[in-house]
Amino acid sequence: MASRVLPRPPAFRSVGRSVLLTLPMALWALLMFTPSFRQPGRNSHIGALLVILFMTALFFLMMRTGKTYRWRRYFFVALGLLFPVGFIASLVAVRGTMSIPIERMVSGDTPFCYMVIPMLILPAAVTRTIIFPGSILPTASNPHSIAIMIGLWLALTLVVGKAWCSYICFFGGIEEGFAALPKRMKIRKLDPRLRLVPWAILLFVVVLSAALFEPVYCMWLCPFKTVTEYPAVHSVQTAIQMGIFITLFGGLVVVLPYLTRKRTQCAFFCPFGAFQSLFNKINLFEIRFDREKCVDCTLCQTACPTMALSAESIREGKTLLNCMKCGACVDSCKKSAAVWHLKGTKVALKPERARLLFLYGAWAMATMFGGSILANSISTIIGFLPLR
Amino acid sequence: MRARILAILAYIGAAVTLLIAACVPFVLMGVFSNAVAHAGLHMDPSYSGGTIVRTVAHGRYQTDVYAPVRPRALQQVHAFVQVAFRPVSALPRHVSEEIDLDGDGQPDVRVSFTVPTGPHARPIGEVVALNAKYQSFTMPGNYSFSEMMVQSGGAVVVRVPLR
Repeated sequence: MASRVLPRPPAFRSVGRSVLLTLPMALWALLMFTPSFRQPGRNSHIGALLVILFMTALFFLMMRTGKTYRWRRYFFVALGLLFPVGFIASLVAVRGTMSIPIERMVSGDTPFCYMVIPMLILPAAVTRTIIFPGSILPTASNPHSIAIMIGLWLALTLVVGKAWCSYICFFGGIEEGFAALPKRMKIRKLDPRLRLVPWAILLFVVVLSAALFEPVYCMWLCPFKTVTEYPAVHSVQTAIQMGIFITLFGGLVVVLPYLTRKRTQCAFFCPFGAFQSLFNKINLFEIRFDREKCVDCTLCQTACPTMALSAESIREGKTLLNCMKCGACVDSCKKSAAVWHLKGTKVALKPERARLLFLYGAWAMATMFGGSILANSISTIIGFLPLR
Repeated sequence: MRARILAILAYIGAAVTLLIAACVPFVLMGVFSNAVAHAGLHMDPSYSGGTIVRTVAHGRYQTDVYAPVRPRALQQVHAFVQVAFRPVSALPRHVSEEIDLDGDGQPDVRVSFTVPTGPHARPIGEVVALNAKYQSFTMPGNYSFSEMMVQSGGAVVVRVPLR
């Protein structure tokens, strides 16, 4: 019996056009990492070169295949896995430990993390006080100052909005990696009310932080303390804090993503993600559904890593407010009903144009921010290798 | 017609977003960071120790006495006064000093410690209250934001809890 060879699906775009569309991104990556080549040190050169190639290759594949989520995920998981390597290595080099001794807090040497930002707003507005043990201006021992990091967050948020959670956040990739491991979901039914929990946590930590004058989320609830830095364990309280961090990390970042194939920490816990969702209102890019093509198969709902779709929202042709524009729904839709959309234009009229406009901005920011973290981590890892 | 105008505005907006993206590393990040740096914000005194109210010079080193820091709202930190001996490199091997914390001309505490030799080492010593307003303690002990004797920022920082 003659075997029947199925035709390969046509590529989304020709190689030539894909290369042309990738060229600006390749030049951007070169521009971003040129300073690394001016610095001495072979390791940082290799790190920068690898990141330029990696980011450019992924963007080319996005252009060539028309898929966004699939290729973005490689970058995002790499970022999530490599960020702790570079960060922990720098902590150990500077202070000899991952824990934050009290003297580093007093001298303002704690690196600032964007997760704190929602908790800073009320105390800063009312008392002009920053309730974080960092420094406002960069110092020799703490270049990640509060002013620099808030400035960076403001600038990036203007461009990407809630897409921060899928192109910028160096924590989300860890759970995205664990969510990608199993072939099938082990837990299929998730209560849709769970997606309200981050809003409740946001409200809770913002109010409590303003009352207690301390960043409550960082002190008690951040799962990522486990892989970054944590208060030195010297009392029952700090031991309890450490226990909470490890439990939340194990549950929300490792086990539940593996069982559900969702980013459970982002979808059901992260207050910064909820805060960032507010910027979806002002960002010009979104995902919409062409109701004429949609057959309500719910493939998009299953694919969405943060449960940002409901049956009602799809019927209305929209995503929910917590959509982080990762593109999983668009990639999964077999009817091309899920489309990238530029607000103010007709839905599904020029979806690829909207995707390109969005991706240029988002990928440029990802290359600038995440790319530099990747390059630094790669250079650190090469430094550990027994090479001559 | 309205739809057309909206679409034109949308594409202008998208172009502006791309322009902003191109400006982020070169201009925008710096502009926003400067704006935050000059917004008149300051660190919470429970971390920074507050403001220096008096400095006593001892030749090669000096003792800075800070204003008392009291908890705000439901803040968990005890009230304290910070004293800093700096620079560490100029301190004698052993320091023992009676310090006037409240500015009334009378010593309130006697701070004694052995200066740490390594950059990450902690001083060993004690604070003896000479005024009932302050609490005595010895170090190493229970380090907290209101009770500590540590080496930080090129100084030996001592926080004396208020009763």
